[in-house]
Amino acid sequence: MNPLAQLVIYSTMIMGTLITSLSSHWFLAWAGLEMNMLAFTSILIKKANPRSTEAATKYFLMQSTASMILMMAITLNNLFPGQWIMMNNPNQLMSLIMMMALAMKLGMTPFHFWLPEVTQGTPLIPGLLLLTWQKLAPIMIMYQIYPSINTNILMTLSTLSIMAGSWGGLNQTQLRKILAYSSITHMGWMMMTLVYNPNITVFYLLVYIIMTSTAFMTLNLSSNTTTLMLSRAWNKLTWLMPLMSITLLSMGGLPPLTGFLPKWITIQELTKNNNFIMPSVMVIMTLLNLYFYLRLIYTTSMTLLPTSNNTKMKWQFENTKPMPLMPPLIILTTLLLPMSPTILTMF
Amino acid sequence: MLKMVFPTIMLLPTTWFSKNNLIWINLTTHSLIISLIPILFFHQTNNNLISYSTYLSSDPLTTPLLMLTAWLLPLMIMASQYHLHNESPLRKKLYLSMMISLQISLIMTFMATELILFYILFETTLIPTLIIITRWGNQAERLNASTYFLFYTLTGSLPLLIMLLFVHNNLGSLNIPLLTLTAQKLTTTWSHNLTWLACMMAFMVKMPLYGLHLWLPKAHVEAPIAGSMVLAAVLLKLGGYGMMRLTSILNPLTEYMAYPFLMLSLWGMIMTSSTCLRQTDLKSLIAYSSVSHMALVIMASLIQTPWSFTGAIVLMIAHGLTSSMLFCLANSNYERTHSRIMLLSRGLQTLLPLMAFWWFAANLTNLALPPTINLIGELLVMMTSFSWSHVTIMLTGLNMLITALYSLYMLVTTQRGTLTSHIINMKPSFTRENMLMFMHMSPIILLSLNPSIIMGFTT
Repeated sequence: MNPLAQLVIYSTMIMGTLITSLSSHWFLAWAGLEMNMLAFTSILIKKANPRSTEAATKYFLMQSTASMILMMAITLNNLFPGQWIMMNNPNQLMSLIMMMALAMKLGMTPFHFWLPEVTQGTPLIPGLLLLTWQKLAPIMIMYQIYPSINTNILMTLSTLSIMAGSWGGLNQTQLRKILAYSSITHMGWMMMTLVYNPNITVFYLLVYIIMTSTAFMTLNLSSNTTTLMLSRAWNKLTWLMPLMSITLLSMGGLPPLTGFLPKWITIQELTKNNNFIMPSVMVIMTLLNLYFYLRLIYTTSMTLLPTSNNTKMKWQFENTKPMPLMPPLIILTTLLLPMSPTILTMF
Repeated sequence: MLKMVFPTIMLLPTTWFSKNNLIWINLTTHSLIISLIPILFFHQTNNNLISYSTYLSSDPLTTPLLMLTAWLLPLMIMASQYHLHNESPLRKKLYLSMMISLQISLIMTFMATELILFYILFETTLIPTLIIITRWGNQAERLNASTYFLFYTLTGSLPLLIMLLFVHNNLGSLNIPLLTLTAQKLTTTWSHNLTWLACMMAFMVKMPLYGLHLWLPKAHVEAPIAGSMVLAAVLLKLGGYGMMRLTSILNPLTEYMAYPFLMLSLWGMIMTSSTCLRQTDLKSLIAYSSVSHMALVIMASLIQTPWSFTGAIVLMIAHGLTSSMLFCLANSNYERTHSRIMLLSRGLQTLLPLMAFWWFAANLTNLALPPTINLIGELLVMMTSFSWSHVTIMLTGLNMLITALYSLYMLVTTQRGTLTSHIINMKPSFTRENMLMFMHMSPIILLSLNPSIIMGFTT
């Protein structure tokens, strides 16, 4: 892409999210979301082929529908407090419509069907941005309206997200789709504690962004997009495959890795509110998530599948692809659990 | 605490910075020195626990298991020498690093004072074991085996996490000595029943209980020798340890809820022992015998009398050493014939007489011959289950009989009779292997002389 065009598009995308998170006027928040969406739609077509055009079209349709529904909710909400400031208690009905619109934006069930296909249709880096940066702005808005959100419906949506994300990912071999379904599952976990303690949602989002960024960066280094390609990556990047395995285990939520910490805090918050059935259902469903991560781990570092390329030379060449922030990301993905007392004091 | 945990952590740099021809010597020596440290922990006056820090302590229940864990690491290292000798130094060091990281998490698990720390370390033991089984196992079935292992354990233990957090919110703290003082009574309501189940199922799966035992034969058979040893000797005991810790907060509901599990244990003992009589695979036989012995430990933990807890601890230590020894013996067979089928290596007493003695000793301890600690453990458990209900003596007695049957079956098939005609080239026993067997056997013999140190909370 033309560097000037890239500058304009990326800065618009970043500005959009910043405007949404920093605004207290409903219109400005909505405008930020729109800026973000328009810029991002063009990022999705970075590699111009019919697949990415289709992905960008799907993305645009879903997001603009959600924005319009959000606009309707915002306008109707003006009838009640009489002002446009984002007070944290909109009307119940309007809050419900806002939550539905934001769930559409985030890719939560029952509006999750677009996410795997859009993630699959784009190259890895726009896919990464889709699953990490694009979640920020809607969650900022949900953070601001959290007291009025209907608990029952949000928890139903979350549980359904976890179920859809877990069961949907089982039959996939394409890595981007696997990560999209994992994103749906993690969104379900995040939204569980929104009504109880939204700080935990934001913390889960932070850890999720770190883990997903690590996964995508690792895949980007060897341009892997399918499980088959991942099974051959041991030849080219020997040292990276165990790290990929550890990242996947962290995403599955196994102690002593970082990915256990947000799940632990979420379950703690839910049990403080005497909610036990929900966490039980959630953790059992998330084990399905862990199953398809484990399958990936088997193909990457535990077994040696028959490959067509067994030369020893490939991993001795220097890697020229840039890997921004890899070492800190990997350290954060695996070693943050002992920091949990420090982190918990922030809530 | 530090005198045990830090040296074990420091074994990791020792592995990576040793010269290639000194790895085994360094690690075996240092882990043997570390295994001397838990002996110091045995000096506990009046059964008080020794508190090393706010997070780690060692009491009469923990110390025997800690000793077993520490003793087992040099044995695992010695046992792995042969099957790794052709691998590159990097892979040897990776394998040893997995074992050492498993050891670190096991030591801290047994010493943890707070139950959430215990839980995190309990789950931490899964990852190195998973890597050992999947990466260094020998057959294609190992993928299935480690999937079963991971998911059975996780499905059981995640509800435990939820319940521990609930108990934390309720009682304020999950410090183990404090829990015994502040525990509230559990009644027979539906939610308390589920609480009991959530707390106990993690350990039932780990022990394993008869209906949930499917992971064990798979994992034990597919794991390499060090994996089998640590699984049989220590990881199963995590379940028993956890059960004995958690029953203090689950009273008096345990008397009511324990019935199905006691029935399953009693029936499972007989069933798995009987399965052993029909096994062709040697490692599978030893794995099922582990299920059978652990069913006794489950029974003892659920009956909750002082003698039963004592019997459970003694049986855990005894079974750990015996089962690990049997796996080492099976492995010495496997290294020579590359097959686990018992019928392919009959009559070995003719070829390897000294190894035949170790086979003999191991099988005698497996069938709980007096006066070994195996007998003391089984006898105490049988006595307490008799006092719980007179009928159980029929089942536990029958189990002792069938245990004797399959142990002798294993002995007679592998050692006695005529040598098979197809064995033309079998290496004689290494000194390392004889040393390994001796190091397994000598604690059993010495503890049989003075079992009071492993008898747990004796007044």
